[in-house]
Amino acid sequence: MTDRKNARLLALAALLIFASTVAVLLARQFSLGPVRPAPDFRVFGPAGAPVQIYEYTDFACPACRHAAGKLEELLKVFDGGIQVHFKHYPLLNIHPWSLHAAAYADCAGAQGKFKEYAGLLFEGQAKWGPARVEAGEPKEFGEYAAKLGLDWQAMLACANDPETLKTLRLDIAEADLKGVNATPTFFINGKRAVGSGQLIDQARKFENILRKAAKP
Amino acid sequence: MTGKGGLKDLIGLLSRLALGGVFIYSGGIKALSPAEEFAYAIESYKVVNAQLSLYAAYAVPWIELWAGLLLAAGVFTRLNALFIGGMLVFFELLLGQAWLRKLPITSCGCFGSSGGNSIEAEFLQNLVLLALAWAAWRYGSRWSADEYAATL
Repeated sequence: MTDRKNARLLALAALLIFASTVAVLLARQFSLGPVRPAPDFRVFGPAGAPVQIYEYTDFACPACRHAAGKLEELLKVFDGGIQVHFKHYPLLNIHPWSLHAAAYADCAGAQGKFKEYAGLLFEGQAKWGPARVEAGEPKEFGEYAAKLGLDWQAMLACANDPETLKTLRLDIAEADLKGVNATPTFFINGKRAVGSGQLIDQARKFENILRKAAKP
Repeated sequence: MTGKGGLKDLIGLLSRLALGGVFIYSGGIKALSPAEEFAYAIESYKVVNAQLSLYAAYAVPWIELWAGLLLAAGVFTRLNALFIGGMLVFFELLLGQAWLRKLPITSCGCFGSSGGNSIEAEFLQNLVLLALAWAAWRYGSRWSADEYAATL
């Protein structure tokens, strides 16, 4: 009798464990998990905007450069209706300097010039992106800082701070968990879009979303 | 204790559901977040190294989720309540040593990055959870899968 009872309970336990595991894994795939906020300097547009875009980007990726321009246009066109959260996803296997670029961009952000520094990184990606590792760190990182009047020594110290690296690693881990494997990847109100083509495709619905949000 | 729906049985059921719910939430929210996030929180207690913290961060959320679910459903209730109680005692030791050492921990990591209670608040909260674990262990067998399985 006790054996049969325990067998039933074990079967129920296995069922509950299996069902909850599948539910969590599915929730991960559909990005239903909590969203880790990006630092303020990496968030553009008003808080609580009806369209929330999370962008996973690599500074050395040409498609990301193209998409950055498109996002800038969308922010202007749907002024006040969109909030963009910039997340780093450096593809380290093909872009060896992307992590450095992301760190410097965040450190420029700490000095109030993330957007400007990111713009220069995208603009000059053909110069520093393919630079050989043996040749040492590309000089462009320092040049962009000088161009923007940033404190380069402070940026170097910041880029070597474990906290900076921790923030970047968390962005990467979060992207991995969401199944991001290409850049740029966007999550627009939770819906995935890869590349600027899919971004523009989804942007066609923004008008509707904004209209619905404006209804009392 | 085994009267028809006595107050103690009700307390047992509510304790089981409340404690199970807290563990389902805390495990689920962490299982849905990058393990590295929880690993950094574990590291900040300065008890285990980075590698072990990461292993723990992969395992603990799932254990919390499953244990919470089984307790709420009343599967092997007493054993589960004991197991969860053991986990809570372990968490209390971690929190207590951090409190005594005055470690600069801003978020205990108990509920992922979303929760940001102080160490002291979490320590006291865990004491309440421990009381619930005791009530679930002592009175939580009514209206449970255990009871239902015995009647089949």
